Amino acid sequence: MFYRESGDFKTSYIQDQQIFPILQDRVFVTVIIAFAFLVVPFLINDYWEKSVLLPVLIWSLAAIGLNILTGYCGQVSLGTGGFMAVGAYASYKFTTAFPELNLFIVVLLSGGVTAMVGILFGLPSLRIKGFYLAVATLASQFFLVWLFNKVPWFYNYSASGQINAPERLIAGIAVTGPNAPPWATYLFCLVFVVVFALVAKNLTRGRFGRSWMAIRDMDIAAEIIGVAPLKAKLSAFSISSFYIGIAGALFFLVYLGAVEPTEAFGIDKSFLVLFMIIIGGLGSILGSFIGAAFMFLMPVLIKNILVNGLGWSPDIVAHLILMIVGGLIMFFLIVEPHGLAQLWRVTKEKLRLWPFPH
Amino acid sequence: MTPDFLNTIEVILNGLMAGVMYSLVALGFVLIFKASGIFNYAQGVMALFAALTLVGFQTGQIPFAHLVNEIFGTQIHHWGPGMNNLLAILLTILVMIVFAWLVEKLVLQHIVNQEPIILFMATIGLAFFMEGIGDLMWGADLKTLDVGIPSGGSFWWEDVTRTWVSEGHEYYGMYIDLLDVWAAGIAVLLVTVLTLFSQYTKTGRALRAVADDHQAALTVGISLRSIWVIVWSIAGIVALVAGIMWGSKSGVQFSLSLIALKALPVLILGGFTSIPGAIIGGLIIGVGEKLFEFWIGPLVGGATENWFAYVLALFFLMFRPQGLFGERIIERV
Amino acid sequence: MQDTVKEDDILLEVRNISLSFGGVRALENISFDIRKGEVRAIIGPNGAGKSSMLNVINGFYHPQEGEIWFDGKRRHHMKPHQVAKLGIARTFQNIALFKGMSTLDNLMTGRYIKMRANLFSQMVWVGPAQREEVEHRQRVEEIIDFLKIQSIRKTPVGKLPYGMQKRVELGRALAAESKLLLLDEPMAGMNLEEKEDMCRFVLDVNEQFGTTIALIEHDMGVVMDISNRVVVLDYGKKLADGSPDEVRNNEKVIDAYLGVSHD
Repeated sequence: MFYRESGDFKTSYIQDQQIFPILQDRVFVTVIIAFAFLVVPFLINDYWEKSVLLPVLIWSLAAIGLNILTGYCGQVSLGTGGFMAVGAYASYKFTTAFPELNLFIVVLLSGGVTAMVGILFGLPSLRIKGFYLAVATLASQFFLVWLFNKVPWFYNYSASGQINAPERLIAGIAVTGPNAPPWATYLFCLVFVVVFALVAKNLTRGRFGRSWMAIRDMDIAAEIIGVAPLKAKLSAFSISSFYIGIAGALFFLVYLGAVEPTEAFGIDKSFLVLFMIIIGGLGSILGSFIGAAFMFLMPVLIKNILVNGLGWSPDIVAHLILMIVGGLIMFFLIVEPHGLAQLWRVTKEKLRLWPFPH
Repeated sequence: MTPDFLNTIEVILNGLMAGVMYSLVALGFVLIFKASGIFNYAQGVMALFAALTLVGFQTGQIPFAHLVNEIFGTQIHHWGPGMNNLLAILLTILVMIVFAWLVEKLVLQHIVNQEPIILFMATIGLAFFMEGIGDLMWGADLKTLDVGIPSGGSFWWEDVTRTWVSEGHEYYGMYIDLLDVWAAGIAVLLVTVLTLFSQYTKTGRALRAVADDHQAALTVGISLRSIWVIVWSIAGIVALVAGIMWGSKSGVQFSLSLIALKALPVLILGGFTSIPGAIIGGLIIGVGEKLFEFWIGPLVGGATENWFAYVLALFFLMFRPQGLFGERIIERV
Repeated sequence: MQDTVKEDDILLEVRNISLSFGGVRALENISFDIRKGEVRAIIGPNGAGKSSMLNVINGFYHPQEGEIWFDGKRRHHMKPHQVAKLGIARTFQNIALFKGMSTLDNLMTGRYIKMRANLFSQMVWVGPAQREEVEHRQRVEEIIDFLKIQSIRKTPVGKLPYGMQKRVELGRALAAESKLLLLDEPMAGMNLEEKEDMCRFVLDVNEQFGTTIALIEHDMGVVMDISNRVVVLDYGKKLADGSPDEVRNNEKVIDAYLGVSHD
């Protein structure tokens, strides 16, 4: 009853073009962000940090990145794992080569490096489309992971071939390494996620976003109105990779702390992120969050119930989860190709009219 | 001939054999793509699933035994001593046909009008689903598969090649796995049968008609849906053959489904619509990656087989997007 | 149609254009011009090469022979998006809208070449990007008013009826404020009423905005009513070129349309 547009008149185009045109949405988002920044840090503990909040935040960022490329620009990529690896290794090289460098800058630079690599592997998109491109992105996935495995310079010639995040401080508080308090790592990630989610929202509703969607919906017509396919696709590739690179850097520096490329950034991660945006909603920033949370937490929940609750063996549960995930993907593509975000939109549509639907 | 030269030949031969395996999987892709325009990512998992089912029948496993035990606390696993190879293979074929029918009924029918890329993603979902259900049905442990195909190195070939080396060099002869030779033979047979089938039977003609033009095929009274069931069944049988070959070679396990990924670059080389393309593409990739690993591998730390095929396909795409044998795509405005 | 078209004021000229695909000749030695401010019709039976001609002007196809002059300058090998920047907009025979976007966004996308905000100002939004967005929104709203599509402003175009989609596509082409507007069968598949509306819009665009228009159309009544000059193509060759009356009485044209043989 309270969620409605009526009475919320727009008197200027500026008002009509706000990020969240509906008043209640604005209030809701503001409250969530305020809660995340002001309340959660006081309640957080190790379990919530490592098992829920950090991974969901980081996967959301990766999902936003892939959504920019796939959901908005229509270019399917199976190279997400490889690009996350680039972000992780770039951050490792930066922070070990320049220990004094502020960690925020390290992460941003890593995103930048990943963007460059993204452009390089995005070049084939100018000639090929659809699943041809999807296959081409597999090249980046396998080649990059192999590269980080085989070239010792990337892991600073360490004997194990692993990379480990050294302890780095921001304003005297450890953000990486084993001594980092949960609230610090959480806030560090939260800043990136909130800032870049808003940036993504801005980009996708403006000139760039429209050029991406134009390429996605009808590339020939996009060209006819002056969108250069080269520029649109490569900008989508680079910005998408930038996000994925940041996610990879955070995944390594803050969340895992130690990384072995084949395991941490394998092809299964590429699929995971793709599934997040399919289930969450292609072409929706909100959907990226919902999808990331759903795809990460659903298996955790099932595992908790079946393994810890009923005492089933973990591998049977793992197979069951595979089945459920595969089934859900097909279900969503058949029934609701716009994902959970669309269901949410429909619910809002209904709420808007409630209690007088006719 | 110097041992180096002979070694290179050995690498090429082994590459050809590996290529045959890739071609077998790629063949399934091409069949489905031609008939329904669907890029079936699940083809590799179908091979895994078929192989698992075959082993299950052979050894007399009870499907879903693990799951049932978990839920009801029972201790069931086998219903008997198993059955002979032929019966097991026939039953597996039956399962693949039922599977094809179910896929058509539950999935394809509902998304037929979507964009190709959506269909592609749906088959990724299908792949995950099948992998899960395959493991639940038969267990995820590594299984050995033996349907009586000879395997192991060929001593005869070793003896023959040993004499080829020039004087004064030490050489032990070439190694070639009999199983690979058999696989190549069976692949040739399979392609021949498929070609004959599509050329000389009524169903085959209908298949080609559908591949050419869906709408036109519909207007002459061909049922698209039954054609799809047939095509998916054939692809299932091809998957079974691939599964038997790979399974006999390296055991039936999860990694079997990864060969599906290798088949993708094969398709890019060969073109999505060409059966000869799939075969030649497979051979090129097989030989290419073995030679690359042999020559360049040692310089860069090895394991280049992980990515060589994809990177080759990538370069290929830049210059000839339609593949070696695919039709040139003229985009109409 | 405007009465003030000056004869020597040529906006676009194609000279001796020949285009073939493999062995098929789509266009053979075609020359004609389009004057500033006129409504120019291209007609001909199916397969005559009309759409190919538009695609050549657009930069989708590159003719093997011939020259294209635009605005007094020889145009060299150009991609479609570069042609758009020169000031040529177009609509398609089969609607080519961005189906996932609303009417408003389709029109805003039409203004792509007019917008300048760089990546960083887009990211922060507040400031230059927002100013630009509002400025262009005003122009787009004028077009929305002009085409009377206010009520579907925020409807995803995929959900609109056919006639409306055609109108939105015209709107998107108008949003680019081009010098030359190419319309590929703007009235195809419409009923009489919709056709009349569309004719009105085309003429209004021509008169109010002074936009030069080249259109392909099958409905002879429409062509004769709204165009200044007509060029007739058949089997990739030019049959006739002139005012509607001249073309109407041209023997070759009558033959091509009625299939009468004169031996």
